[in-house]
Amino acid sequence: MKLFASALLAIATALPSAAAQDVFALRVGRAETIGQGTLDHAVILVENGVITVVGQDLPVERGIPIIDLPDAVVMPGLINCRTRIGVDGRGGGGADIAARASAELYPRQDVWEELLATGTTTLGIYPPGNGIPGLAAAVRPAGDTVAAMVLKDPAYLQLYLRSDRGSKKLFTDAFEKLDKYLEKVAKEREKFDKDNEKSKDKDKDKDKDKDKDKDKDKDSKKNAPEFKPSQPDDDVRPVLDLITGRLRAVIGIRKAGDWLHLLDVMGERKFEFDLQCDLRDDLDLFYIAEEVGKRGLRVIFDPTIIQHPGTRRERSMPAEFAKAGAKLALSPRSDSVEAHRDWLNQVGELVRYGLDRQIALRAVTLEPAHVLGLGDKLGSIEAGRTANLVFFDRDPFDPARRLLGVMLDGRFVSGELLP
Amino acid sequence: MKIRNLITLLTAASLAALPLMPFARAQDEAPEGEAAPTEVDTEKDTYVAVVGADIYTGTGEVLRGATMLVRSGKIRRIGYDVFIPENARVVHAAGYRVYPGMVALSASTRITDGTLSADPWSAVEDAVHGRAVTDKVADELVEDWVEEWEGDFETAQAFDEAALRSSDSYDPFSSYLVLTLAAGITSVESSNLPIKLRRDKIEDVVMGDGGLVAFNWGGADARRTVRADFEKAAAYLREFRAWEAAGDKSVKEPSRRGVNSGALRVLKGEARPKFSADGANDLLGIARLAQTFGFRPVIDGCREGWIVADELGRAGVTAIVQPRERRAKDEMMVGPAGSSIENAAILHKAGVQVAVKAMNGNVDLSGIAGRDILALALDAGFAVRGGMSDAAALQSVTLVPARILGVDHRIGSLEIGKDADFLITDGDLLHYETHVQLAFVLGEVAYDKNAELYYAHIRPQPPIKITEGIPPAEETKAAEDGESDETKGAEKAGDDSEGKDPEPKPDEPAPKPDEPTPKPEEPEPKPDEPTPKPEEPEPKPDEPAPKPEEPPTHPS
Repeated sequence: MKLFASALLAIATALPSAAAQDVFALRVGRAETIGQGTLDHAVILVENGVITVVGQDLPVERGIPIIDLPDAVVMPGLINCRTRIGVDGRGGGGADIAARASAELYPRQDVWEELLATGTTTLGIYPPGNGIPGLAAAVRPAGDTVAAMVLKDPAYLQLYLRSDRGSKKLFTDAFEKLDKYLEKVAKEREKFDKDNEKSKDKDKDKDKDKDKDKDKDKDSKKNAPEFKPSQPDDDVRPVLDLITGRLRAVIGIRKAGDWLHLLDVMGERKFEFDLQCDLRDDLDLFYIAEEVGKRGLRVIFDPTIIQHPGTRRERSMPAEFAKAGAKLALSPRSDSVEAHRDWLNQVGELVRYGLDRQIALRAVTLEPAHVLGLGDKLGSIEAGRTANLVFFDRDPFDPARRLLGVMLDGRFVSGELLP
Repeated sequence: MKIRNLITLLTAASLAALPLMPFARAQDEAPEGEAAPTEVDTEKDTYVAVVGADIYTGTGEVLRGATMLVRSGKIRRIGYDVFIPENARVVHAAGYRVYPGMVALSASTRITDGTLSADPWSAVEDAVHGRAVTDKVADELVEDWVEEWEGDFETAQAFDEAALRSSDSYDPFSSYLVLTLAAGITSVESSNLPIKLRRDKIEDVVMGDGGLVAFNWGGADARRTVRADFEKAAAYLREFRAWEAAGDKSVKEPSRRGVNSGALRVLKGEARPKFSADGANDLLGIARLAQTFGFRPVIDGCREGWIVADELGRAGVTAIVQPRERRAKDEMMVGPAGSSIENAAILHKAGVQVAVKAMNGNVDLSGIAGRDILALALDAGFAVRGGMSDAAALQSVTLVPARILGVDHRIGSLEIGKDADFLITDGDLLHYETHVQLAFVLGEVAYDKNAELYYAHIRPQPPIKITEGIPPAEETKAAEDGESDETKGAEKAGDDSEGKDPEPKPDEPAPKPDEPTPKPEEPEPKPDEPTPKPEEPEPKPDEPAPKPEEPPTHPS
């Protein structure tokens, strides 16, 4: 399945190049590269939908078409790593750990185009439900088929942890199933090794009768059969992938106390995960900022200023967590096109409330790309990354900005720059 | 002077008793300095030392300007000239008071923001529902449990289960919990379980199984049933002990069928019975039952206890009262009836152990203020108003409730070996003006008035200094303070006896002229506060200051 998806991805990125040897240079007034900070007078070379060179005032080889936008500000396409936009409402709830959000995708909806027009070039669609609802998919809001839309499936495992017995039991049960599977594999291996020894012994006996010179060759051939563990069940595989580092998790919590209960269920187990919490007034999350920051975890928030419990005192959780050392990803406040349109305004407000500007820019590009496991392909204007770009006429956080164009895989797909 | 004589007598007595009571001495006095350095046991041990504060131990003693050393969450030393290890965190609390954390009875589960349950039967039911069982299997299972239930092992298991569940939902960041700590409460009884209000961890918050068996005492039928249950249990116990003593295995063990397991536990001395009763006659009935069967009941309510206080005292009753409760006498009654503000004082005088509980176990941020669990100290203050001594009133919200919950070996007073759950306050704990500045649970700061926003702006004070180790400049000063405090402490020895004597003495440490503006209306006498608090807030300009020539009257 994974192979299948990546093969399709290759086709999808290869498609534009099939039309022509696609090379062009972008000359922009300013580039928010994320990776290298802000570059004035930036030149970006795009080949076959992939950025190959980024620099300041670079000379462009004769013959390469130049798109000259001296007043524009370019930044990587926005990435919303956690949304249900474009798929059915929040129904479901059958706690099937192997359920895939990609199964719900409908291509060719108006909403995808509308999303592109807001500058959003990548989405992480998560499965509906509580507990451990299943696997999220990384999706681009373009393409005529599901396969053309999907960038990565599964992108992460969605989990929720609440401070109650049932929720914690779901966790421990999932891991217990994995333990059982691992035990089974260990037994299989033991048996396999025993059988191997036996057959080796038998072979040796036979070989003794035959020519002794050929002994070595034969032995090496006999060793060839490799141990193949039995395949894990569907509900074990995601947990196995989690533990072996092939999959990340996004763990949703609702209050600071949940974090301690999460540590309690995790115990000694180690896997990569990002924390997610919907911000609301009276939230007590600031109690754990220090602890989460110390671990360098990534947190996924919505760009909201909240009020300290029982007071009207405003607190910016994103700023506090970033200050404590946590990585920060910011998603729009809701699953609507309007929320995506307001997204940068709200993040801009956080900047005015004290969030570092570069951290804010990362929080809507590179960090969500990391959540989706696509941090090496998306989210930054750097050589080797997909040319998903958004062009503005001024600073992206300026509420008066105008979106000039959206580029997806090196092609303008929206805005007035659309040829 | 009377007091001087008393002190000399006391000193003589304690000196005479000294060789006999080495532990008692170690408790109250400074531990010998020379033994200390070797007591730094492991590298992992963490130390907290509170220096310079007046320590109200909750056992009746006050140690002025003393030091309390905490090692890894337990109280290690209380007294003077205490050796403070280098790696100790030192809390400089001169001018403040240290009290044991209060224990709130009948608290709402809202405080820990979870659903706590110690009802063994619901645990059993959960276990049934947890398995895929048919009705038939379920019936069998339940029958099994009915049989097994008599055993204590199962009881223990079920309680373990319940405890586990409570920590599955415990929320140390709940704002109700912060407010409760701010009110000076460090442990609560929630669904009969003693819960420690930890802030740092969710582990080990449940301290025990409560150890109370509730009996229904409402109505004649219920009373008959309870009496019958105890009679049956007593008869069974007699038979069983006789059978055990005979040691004849061929004779069948007496059947336990129909014997109330709760009553049996009580008669075996494994649990204490708890009744809810208010009327004098009901209380007398319980006292008689207790004396008949030889147990010590806990009575929740006890509104008319003051009428039958002597009987309750003889029966070894522990009363849980609400000193602010008001109930007019029934006009049909000829004798005394109804509530009395002196209830707690009278009961205490008669030898009844008195615990005070708040009018409401919830944290209630609406409605009439001061009637929820956050006003527990105020409730105990009303007991003082009714004539109870300060020391007894303090115990009514610390040590006595801890005893009721069966955790007085861990909490309820500041004694060596107990959990370091204590408060640092800017005045008398039971005074309405007092704020808890810092609350410690297991030696960790669980509440800091300046850090939490709720009360930080009210009569703000500079934060209490906490340093890593004693700063070199202060070391000498601290030593001097210790010396002078010691002499001061000796003078105040009279305070200790006050706890036992609720009568205000006219020639006793009465307010001195240098006391900063005694409040014109003090809701409760503060006889154990003869010296002004060094950091008492300056007299407020809008407060009517008493005329200087007028001798301050003792509040009585």
